[in-house]
Amino acid sequence: MISVSHLTKRFGATVAVDGVSFEIPEGQVVGFLGPNGAGKTTTMRLLTGYLPADDGEAHLLGLDLATQSLDIRRRLGYLPENNPLPEDIEVTDYLHFIGRLRGLHDESDRMARVKTVLKLCSLGSVVGKRLGELSKGFRQRVGLAQAIIHDPDILILDEPTSGLDPNQVQEVRGLIQNLRKHKTLILSTHILSEVQHTCDRVLIINRGRIVADGSPDDLAGSIQNLNRLFISLKGPKDDVEKALAGLPGVRRVLAQHGAFDEEGFVVESDATNDLRESVFKLATRQDWPILALQQKRLSLEEVFQVLTQAKKTNGVEEQHVPVS
Amino acid sequence: MSRYLDRRVVWALAQRTFRHSVESPIAYVVGLFFYGFVGGIFALNFFVNNEATTSAIGMVAPWVLWFVIPALTMGLISDELRSGTFEQLSTLPVRDWEIVLGKFLGFAMLTAILIGGLAFFSILVSFLSPQRLDWGGNLGVLVGLYLFSLSYGAMGLFASSLAKNQVVCLILGMIFCTAFFFIGQFYSVFSGTAARVADSLGITSHLDTMGRGVWDVRDLVYFLSLITFFLYLSVQRLLTRRF
Repeated sequence: MISVSHLTKRFGATVAVDGVSFEIPEGQVVGFLGPNGAGKTTTMRLLTGYLPADDGEAHLLGLDLATQSLDIRRRLGYLPENNPLPEDIEVTDYLHFIGRLRGLHDESDRMARVKTVLKLCSLGSVVGKRLGELSKGFRQRVGLAQAIIHDPDILILDEPTSGLDPNQVQEVRGLIQNLRKHKTLILSTHILSEVQHTCDRVLIINRGRIVADGSPDDLAGSIQNLNRLFISLKGPKDDVEKALAGLPGVRRVLAQHGAFDEEGFVVESDATNDLRESVFKLATRQDWPILALQQKRLSLEEVFQVLTQAKKTNGVEEQHVPVS
Repeated sequence: MSRYLDRRVVWALAQRTFRHSVESPIAYVVGLFFYGFVGGIFALNFFVNNEATTSAIGMVAPWVLWFVIPALTMGLISDELRSGTFEQLSTLPVRDWEIVLGKFLGFAMLTAILIGGLAFFSILVSFLSPQRLDWGGNLGVLVGLYLFSLSYGAMGLFASSLAKNQVVCLILGMIFCTAFFFIGQFYSVFSGTAARVADSLGITSHLDTMGRGVWDVRDLVYFLSLITFFLYLSVQRLLTRRF
C-alpha cells in the first residue's frame, strides 16, 4: 500500500528527513511519533506530494509519487498540521468546494457524500455556520470531514488532536477509530498515549530518521524495561544522592523537584529491580524521613532518550532498529 | 479528467475566489475609492468644463487602477500562504496551473464588474448630452481598461505569491505595475530603436490605441502576452514550495 525507500528532504544545510524507509500494508494504522522538529510533518508533506523529495522514492497504492502524484492525491485524504481552514465560508459550502476539487463533480453524488461525512463527523449542529465561528473541536472535525469527503484509500492526519481539550480529544479519537476500519491511516503525534490508543504500529522519528519501529505493545515493553522512582528524603542532599546511587541495581540518579516543589531525585533502575524496599531500609538506617516515593511515568522525550541511549550502548546508533 | 487542465476545477476555484472577494470589505473600499475618484474627475469635466465626453475616464482610470488592482490582488495567494490553506489546497488533486488560473479567473470576474460599472458614465453622457456619443471609442476604452486591469492583475497575482504579508505584496504589485506604466511614459527620453521598444513595452500606448477606437491585434497580443508571462511566473513561484 505504502512503500518508502531512502526518502530524503533537505532545507539548505538542514536534513529534515534523512533516508527514511518503511512499508505500510493495507489497512494498517501507523503512528508517527516524535518531538517537534523531528521530521514527522516533512515526511507527511512528502507523502502527500506537497513537497518534492530530494532523494529516495515512495510508492503509494502502487503509484510512483514522483511521477503520479496527481493520481495518488485523488485517493488520499490529508489533514495538515494546525488544520488551516478558511474563515469566511459555511461548513457545507466548504465541503462542497473541497468535493469539487477532489473530483466529485456530479452534484447528487457530492450531496450524498457531504451528507455522509456530516453525519460521520457529527457536524449536523454546525451546518450553516461559517468556519471562523466554530470551536477548535468542530474545526478539527471539519478538517477530518474534508479529508474523507472523497472516501480515500489512504488517510494522513498530522497531529489530529493537537490543541484540543480532553473531551474533544476523545471525540476525535472516536472518529479516527471509526475511520480505521476501512482505510490505511497514518497519523502523527507527539503524545505517546495517542498512539497507544489508536495505532497498530508506531514509527518513532528523531532528527529526520526512524529510530524505532514496532507495535505500541513493543514500545511499552521497551519502556517497562526501566523502572523510575521519584524519591524525596529529608536529609543532606549530597549524602542522599550518593546513598541512592549506591543502592543495588541503580543505573542513574537525577536531581528533580516534586509536585510540591520538594527537592528529590529520579532514580532509574532495571524493571526487575524494585527499589522501594531498599529505599525504605536506607531511610530508616539514616533516619531520613520519606517525603515522597512515587512511580515516574516516562515522557515521550524520555522514551527517546532511553531508546537512543540503548542504541549507543549497542553500538548501532543511527540505524533502523525495531523496538521489539 | 483532462490530462492537462481540468476546467471544472479551475471554475470551482474561480467561483470561490470571486465569492471570497465580493464578501471581503477590501473590494468595497477599493471599489468606492475607484468610482469616487473616477466619478469625481468625470463630474468635474462634465459639469464644470461642460465637456460631454467620457475621455477623461480613459485618462484618469489607469492611474487609479495602478493602486486599485494590486490592492485587489494582494491577498489572492498570500492569504492562502499566510493562513496555511495553500498546503491543503496543493495536496488536493489540483495542479498549480489550475490554482493560478482559478484565482486569476475569479479576479477577472470581479474586475469585469469594476470596469463594466464605468459604462454608467457613458450611458449618463448619452442621456445628458445633445452630442452623439462615440460608442465605438467608449467600448474601446472599456475593453482596453479591462485588458489593462487583467495585465495588472496578473502582475499583482505574481506579487501575491512572493510574500505572506499582504502589504508587501501590495507594494511589490505596484512596483511591477509602475515599471510597465512608466516605461511607456518616458519613451520620449530615448531615441530610435530604444524609443520604439520602450513605447511598445509600455502599457499605456496600447491602452491609448484601443481608447481611440482602433482595434489592433498587436495590442491584444501584447496584453495576452503580459498576462501569460506573469501567470507563468506565479506558477513557477508556487512550484518552488518555499514560502
